[in-house]
Amino acid sequence: MKIILRILDRLEEVIIATLIAAATMLIFVAVVHRYSTTISVDVLKWGKAHNVEWVTLAGTAAFNFLRHIDLTWAQELCIYMFVWMAKFGAAYGVRTGIHVGVDVATQNLAPENQKRVVLFGLACGAFFTFVIGSLGTQFVYHMAHTDQTSPDLEWPAWLIYLAIPFGSYLMSFRFIQVMVSFSRTGELPHHDHGHVEGIADDTPTVPGIVGHDVAVAGAAR
Amino acid sequence: MSTAAAAGGPVFQKPKPASALSAYILIGIPLLLFALCISAKFGLVTIPAGPRAILLFTLLVSLMLTGMPISISLGLTVLTFFFTMTSEDPQVVALKLFTGIEKWEIMAIPFFILAGNFLTHGGVARLMIDFAASMIGHLTGGLALAGIVACAMFALVCGSSVATVVAIGGVILPEMVRRGYPMHFGAGIITVAGSLGILMLPSIPKVIYAISTNTSIGALFVAGLLPGILLSAMLCGVTWYLAKKRGYPKMDKATWGERWTAFRKSFWGLMLVVIIVGGIYSGLFTATEAAAVSAVYAGFVSLFVYKALKFKDVPRVLLSSANMSAMLLYIITNAVVFSFILANENIPHAIADWIMDMNLGWIGFLFVVNILLLLAGNFMEPSSIILIMAPILFPASQRLHIDPVHFGIMIDANMEVGLCHPPVGLNLYVAAGIAKMGITELTKAVVPWLITLLVFLVIITYVPEITLWLPRKLGMLYGG
Repeated sequence: MKIILRILDRLEEVIIATLIAAATMLIFVAVVHRYSTTISVDVLKWGKAHNVEWVTLAGTAAFNFLRHIDLTWAQELCIYMFVWMAKFGAAYGVRTGIHVGVDVATQNLAPENQKRVVLFGLACGAFFTFVIGSLGTQFVYHMAHTDQTSPDLEWPAWLIYLAIPFGSYLMSFRFIQVMVSFSRTGELPHHDHGHVEGIADDTPTVPGIVGHDVAVAGAAR
Repeated sequence: MSTAAAAGGPVFQKPKPASALSAYILIGIPLLLFALCISAKFGLVTIPAGPRAILLFTLLVSLMLTGMPISISLGLTVLTFFFTMTSEDPQVVALKLFTGIEKWEIMAIPFFILAGNFLTHGGVARLMIDFAASMIGHLTGGLALAGIVACAMFALVCGSSVATVVAIGGVILPEMVRRGYPMHFGAGIITVAGSLGILMLPSIPKVIYAISTNTSIGALFVAGLLPGILLSAMLCGVTWYLAKKRGYPKMDKATWGERWTAFRKSFWGLMLVVIIVGGIYSGLFTATEAAAVSAVYAGFVSLFVYKALKFKDVPRVLLSSANMSAMLLYIITNAVVFSFILANENIPHAIADWIMDMNLGWIGFLFVVNILLLLAGNFMEPSSIILIMAPILFPASQRLHIDPVHFGIMIDANMEVGLCHPPVGLNLYVAAGIAKMGITELTKAVVPWLITLLVFLVIITYVPEITLWLPRKLGMLYGG
């Protein structure tokens, strides 16, 4: 059981980190591709105008090569990657405590009362994500009975929206996990913004992270 | 789950009442309202449109007060409403809820977060500080002034305040202490100057405002430039005056050769400005593409040029960026449906009518909006405030002929104030973390610059030309 949970944790992390990296590279490549195509045309024209044959040839070759790569689907794929990243990332966020709330009313309560309110909040979170997961299942189920496909990639739509039930049920599970550990230990996952925006200290066992290096060793000389 | 706790520790220790009643009230009110909605569904009570709008907001607020994530409170309010109050087709709702974030513009957010994270740890900040210090370090309080200018430079390429505070503050604060400045002075400056991060050029709150009001992202980015320069100048002025009065040190005047070297070293970081500005304004790429390109560029520079980031750290940068992005995207998902309900219930329209009836005029309206947003800044972070408030206030601002870009920059400037004071000001918590100071102590230290920021907000609110001049010159406003 523990091992399955560990694998799930790890899988979640790998999926979202890979998705954000892949989406970024994809769009970068698409932009570079678009501009190198135009540039190859310019090179070709320059070669012709100045009668430099090898430049014309190189330009033509590059253009013909680039022209046959069709990247119009990049934007669509990027959006779907981010949809999956958002759904699984939201579940991961419950585990890391990044979903912030308003604490004016709760911060002055006595600990045992605070505990009740926090548990209620977590239960609401679990309930909401469970409902969304179920609605999503219905949604995907209906969609699977249609021939609906995505506009550019022409992938079946239900496959893309599978992220909703998966992500939401996972999120619901995470809320329940946090609830259980909170009622046992009274501790919530904390997201420390002071270390974030980069290499956070989720695993403080790794020494010498860059953030500290900069803060300690860096000096405006 | 709470902001204050999440950001690192207790804010103010107040005596705790022993009664369990308050807890039951906090839990009871949303349940009671929920029961009311259910009974309306089954025809036990009928709720006319006016009270229904009030019910919607009370439910949202009562859920938020329990400290649950804002995204969940929005979502639950939406669900409750859709299942009990409207005759809207559930399929439509589902579609809204599931496809709400499938917009190309929204995708700029994860890219900008990733770029910001790469920059924070990429060693760019240190070189920018070097450059700024070589230019103005010889003035009284030179290093403090250099800190402000470095924040402004970093803000040109980074869309987040917190990242700016971490990047610049992490380097400059230890150095300031070493050179004889009191820690509270430096931390106070960086807290407020870091908020330039969301004002100048790219900014995540601006993207969110652009999405919820259909304003041009490019125009909003460029419109923040002059206000950013104005704020930097104002902060520098106050800092210089205080430094003079308290006799803080100067630095040795750098030669032009040293200045050139410092510039050349920070060149790779500053190039990013050219990519973002040049790319968007020449029409070479969209804001989202610019964000993706700057993320790749920032990663490349950090890994291969400045080599401050090691390969083994990249997955962690990716993971924390994905974590932050997913959190924002999740709030956006729910906020999009929430604003759909608002529109469905005709609430923004009704509020606009009501404001027009009060005859406030644009001056009075902007005053009220500012007060409202400053109050909201006490409870929520900028993205949530903009997502909830912008759709409500925007129609009214349109009827008063306030330029959408001016309105957006004003909201953005207003959000900066909330970032710099307790109870939820993230800049403050982050700066306190770096400086290892108490929140109360830092809150006092921030006061002179916070007042400057408020004066700046008044100027931005009532002198639209500062915001609108540059985008108009570049032909980015509708009226041109």
